[in-house]
Amino acid sequence: MATIGIVGAGTMGGGIAHVAALSGFNVLLHDISTDVLNRALQRISTDLQKGIEKGKISAENVEQTKQRIRSTSTFDDFSPCNLVVEAAVEKLDVKKNIFSELEQRCLPDAILATNTSSLSVTAIASSVKNAERVVGMHFFNPPHLMKLVEIVRGQKSSDETIRKTIDLAKQLGKTPVLVNDTPGFIVNRCARPFYGEALRILGEGIASVEDIDRIVRLEGGFKMGPFELMDLIGIDVNFAVTKSIYEQTFGEPRYRPHVIQQAMVNAGYLGRKAKQGFYKYEL
Amino acid sequence: MVFLIGESPMVEELGEQCARVGYTITVKFNRPLQKEKLPPLLRSSSTIPRGTALAIELTNTDKEKKKKNILLLEKSLPGHTVILSSSVTVTATEQASWLKSPERLMGLSALPTLLSQQLLEVAPTVNTSTKTVSTIKNFLERLGKETAVVQDRIGMVLPRILCMLVNEASFAVMENAAPPRDIDTAMKLGTNYPLGPIEWADKIGIQQVFSVLESLHQDLGEERYRIAPLVRQMAAGKRWWST
Ligand SMILES: NC(=O)c1ccc[n+]([C@@H]2O[C@H](COP(=O)([O-])OP(=O)(O)OC[C@H]3O[C@@H](n4cnc5c(N)ncnc54)[C@H](O)[C@@H]3O)[C@@H](O)[C@H]2O)c1
Repeated sequence: MATIGIVGAGTMGGGIAHVAALSGFNVLLHDISTDVLNRALQRISTDLQKGIEKGKISAENVEQTKQRIRSTSTFDDFSPCNLVVEAAVEKLDVKKNIFSELEQRCLPDAILATNTSSLSVTAIASSVKNAERVVGMHFFNPPHLMKLVEIVRGQKSSDETIRKTIDLAKQLGKTPVLVNDTPGFIVNRCARPFYGEALRILGEGIASVEDIDRIVRLEGGFKMGPFELMDLIGIDVNFAVTKSIYEQTFGEPRYRPHVIQQAMVNAGYLGRKAKQGFYKYEL
Repeated sequence: MVFLIGESPMVEELGEQCARVGYTITVKFNRPLQKEKLPPLLRSSSTIPRGTALAIELTNTDKEKKKKNILLLEKSLPGHTVILSSSVTVTATEQASWLKSPERLMGLSALPTLLSQQLLEVAPTVNTSTKTVSTIKNFLERLGKETAVVQDRIGMVLPRILCMLVNEASFAVMENAAPPRDIDTAMKLGTNYPLGPIEWADKIGIQQVFSVLESLHQDLGEERYRIAPLVRQMAAGKRWWST
């Protein structure tokens, strides 16, 4: 069976390792911090355990899945990887360093994928000599539950790289959607008005937070209203996505962030994780 | 007795809901509907019945026609008869200014298919009387709807958000980020939206979406509300992806 390398074992990297191992791949999970690696293995174990309780997976399968994951804090063992998904911190220079390291360690035909949600895949690919092998593989949080993977075609990604990455996403049980390397890809970009207009409507005094959410749920049939969703995602995280797309498009007015976002972040009202955002949450 | 006047398919959509809870319904369309297309519970008439207790105007895409309809209602009905009127593309305040008795009118968030949802937005103006508000709230309650009272602004809440989602997806299509169906798939799986933006436009009707966007752009005058040329063209060509 093929081997998948994963760089960065945080929220996303750990989740991607879970999916890959569960789908039968050997997984090499890398992080600079051994603490993070241990926590990731622990979390995968807990999530798999929940799968047993829900009757989705057998205890035997869980054992085998866990054994397919090996953790490491060096790149020494990356040569057998057929594909590497990079899910380290969202910083261009960090990602570029990782990619040039991977280029030296992996076989020439290994695919190098990044899970970036807001950086240009083409910019990350500029750090390797053969940019044809670089592609975006944008999972959604939590990766073991969310079906979608955006396959991002960089300026130089080859058709073969794209085809293989799409195949792999399918083998992971995901629904791949191909998108060109444009700011925010599809989902983060096309969801901007959901938050942006809701903030405008609130800012203009047209309706309250509670009413806007209720309207969007009951008149629109959405599972969550925009403010509930911002609280869940993290108001700071959502603000950062908006700013990133705004900057990458040289100030396109459709993506202009709202002063309410800045004010909430200034106050530390970041959403559920801070127990207060647009709503208050019990401790 | 309720009288509905305006655009198909909104008139049928709301008319049928009214008929099902026992209202006697008479309808008049902006453009005559073929007889066989009229739902059995509705009766079409070119004149407005005398005993009408509530009149509903549902036109979004043609302001001239809307004004004609509102003035016709004023001429044909006693001054106290309440008018509930779609205020998605023309504010209720502007519509009320056409009337001699502006207290009788209140705005409604009317778009095709959204009229069948569990909640509707209503927008009173500074002139709307408490009697008008309570008549309309009772009416919507009898239809089994929840209501949300919002300020009287173009696009209200949901129509504004939805139409801007369609606009953004249309820019993404134009810029070749991804094809329309893939955008729908991505939005449904990646964000849990009940429908993708292209499907929304399909259900609501691209001309309706265009009218909302055009009114928003005129009202707010910001580049942010610039209409994707694709939406404009599709509306002019009267087609969207599935049709
Ligand atoms: N959290 C989300 O909802 C989400 C969704 C989709 C994509 N993403 C993207 O996934 C990536 C990771 O996000 P996350 O939320 O998992 O972040 P995280 O902070 O949970 O994890 C990042 C991990 O990278 C490790 N790391 C940092 N520098 C490294 C290096 N040089 N080599 C190896 N590991 C290194 C850190 O120790 C940390 O464990 C980012 O690019 C982010 O944009 C995040």
